[in-house]
Amino acid sequence: MSAIPYPAAEVPEVQVQRQTPSGRIAMTLAVFALVAIAAMPWWASTGTIRSILVLCCYIAVAQMWNLLAGYAGLVSVGQQAFMGAAGYALFVLAQTYGINPFVAVFLSLLVPAALAVPIYFLLHRLDGPYFSIGTWVVAEVFRLAASNLPIVNAGAGMSLRVMKDYSSFERNVAMSLLCAGMLLVTLGGSYWLLRSRFGLALIAMRDNPVAAASQGVNVAKLRFLIYIASAVGCGLAGAIYFMAQLRITPGSAFDPMWANVAIFIVMVGGIGSIEGVLIGSLIYFIADRWFGEYGASYFVVLGLMTLLVALYARTGIWGLVSKRWDAPWFPIRRKLVDQNR
Amino acid sequence: MEWFDALVQGILLGGMYAQYALGMALMFGVMRIVNISHGDLVILLSLIGISMATAWGLGPLPVLIVLVPLAVLMGWVLQKAVLNKVVGSDPLPSLIATFGLSIALQNLMLQIWSANSRSLPGHGLESQSIEIGGIYIGLLPVIVLVVATALTWGLDLTLKRTRFGRALRAASADVEAAAMTGINPRAVYAMATAAAVGILGFAAVFQSLRSTVAPADGPAQLIYAFEAVIIGGMGAVWGAFLGSMVLGISQAIGFRIDPGFGVLAGHIVFLIVLATRPQGLFGKATT
Repeated sequence: MSAIPYPAAEVPEVQVQRQTPSGRIAMTLAVFALVAIAAMPWWASTGTIRSILVLCCYIAVAQMWNLLAGYAGLVSVGQQAFMGAAGYALFVLAQTYGINPFVAVFLSLLVPAALAVPIYFLLHRLDGPYFSIGTWVVAEVFRLAASNLPIVNAGAGMSLRVMKDYSSFERNVAMSLLCAGMLLVTLGGSYWLLRSRFGLALIAMRDNPVAAASQGVNVAKLRFLIYIASAVGCGLAGAIYFMAQLRITPGSAFDPMWANVAIFIVMVGGIGSIEGVLIGSLIYFIADRWFGEYGASYFVVLGLMTLLVALYARTGIWGLVSKRWDAPWFPIRRKLVDQNR
Repeated sequence: MEWFDALVQGILLGGMYAQYALGMALMFGVMRIVNISHGDLVILLSLIGISMATAWGLGPLPVLIVLVPLAVLMGWVLQKAVLNKVVGSDPLPSLIATFGLSIALQNLMLQIWSANSRSLPGHGLESQSIEIGGIYIGLLPVIVLVVATALTWGLDLTLKRTRFGRALRAASADVEAAAMTGINPRAVYAMATAAAVGILGFAAVFQSLRSTVAPADGPAQLIYAFEAVIIGGMGAVWGAFLGSMVLGISQAIGFRIDPGFGVLAGHIVFLIVLATRPQGLFGKATT
């Protein structure tokens, strides 16, 4: 039996179109925004820089959660474990061992990376929802361990006193550059990842892990890699956040509030999209400024909104928007365009 | 003797955890759902019970008699209003929905009852003790253990012997096949959740009798229930009971070593079990 020869001439001449006008506009704006964030010391007050820094941490942590839950199918409620671990690593390296804090930020990322490997191998045995609570237990173990370890000053916490060796302007420059870098790595990195070959595999996995595996996607390996990447991303956010706070305690380092924030942002903004993370982060950031003073009732509304989104609008705001207008900010689709037509 | 005492205390503490763990094992077994607001429901029921007791001067038993039907009703409403919409093969919607509910409940309780710790007046019950072979054991923990054993036994028997139990097991094995044989999965789910939360009615009374409750205590109870289920082995009712005992003993011994180490000791035992016997101590290995 001979193979049927494929008539080569019949392959249409098409081009793969990957960028859209809306994407180009958004990309230009994103570059401007990054430059503006990096240049904050020259146009913003220290208070504004602190606020923007918190917003950047929300975006980074939410995007890491989005990668985990939206693509890898790993719903974690314990990413604060890695934020706190990196934060503590920074404080120990800079305060106890006298390493330059701006170098220590990057060194401290080794800690969440190293911790995430054994944790993933323990937790991936747990089925679906049990995995989530497992991640929470790990964060609790970290919190209790930090409360008992003398090297991190146990329950009393640590202060980053070495920061007073730098002038306020120097610190602002460093914070602004770190924020811009964090957004570049977490958002830009995710965008790059989603546009690469891995992105195709990730999207296939998001839609149906079993079908993706049958197409040759190594689902187990991808999940593992995403978990590690997300741990490092959250670690970076944690290190930068606590560097700005200048103080860390077991309670603040491993605060489950971060899981609430990430889940609210991603679910309300729209899971499985970068646009959703940006929308959700802005909503949460503004809501927190305006309604944060109402305390408990504000959180009741936040919780109920999360519940309602999960019940009635699972794709979030971006899902509703993109159903109406096809104008992605960060297009990741491949569109075939026939030039002859 | 001191260690034997820790062992006894641990078993009695395990009786408390078993009352949380049973409901979680039941719901996960039937629907593959974990209700993140599980612990918050215990706290909510406890606070309602405490308010009733203070307002009307009720003793623990009348509170229990009111609270358990209320809990059953809550479970039924929870299933109808929330969980039936999110049950399915994807774990994300149910997790997010109950997570949101948990945040809302915690903060709602904080507004109604403030952050103060409260407890249910036991009219002397909490301080009575009985002497068995030279050691004094509190009467209340013994009651807790007896009730936990009875609940486990009753639930196990219900699952094995009754029509509802058969429908429940059929729905958990294969929901579509069960539906073809005339079982209404939604009705079975509603009853399972009603039973699971109903058991929390007992847990709420005993929890608020033996220690204090505050609106922020829910997540810890959720984590203990979860650890007990995983240590014992998923799915099995007696597994959850025995897992609770192991967790209770680990914590009691941990507390005896160092007061700051008790809860952590439970977590560590959980992680060791997960590393060495992921199917749980008493679960059967699958595949």
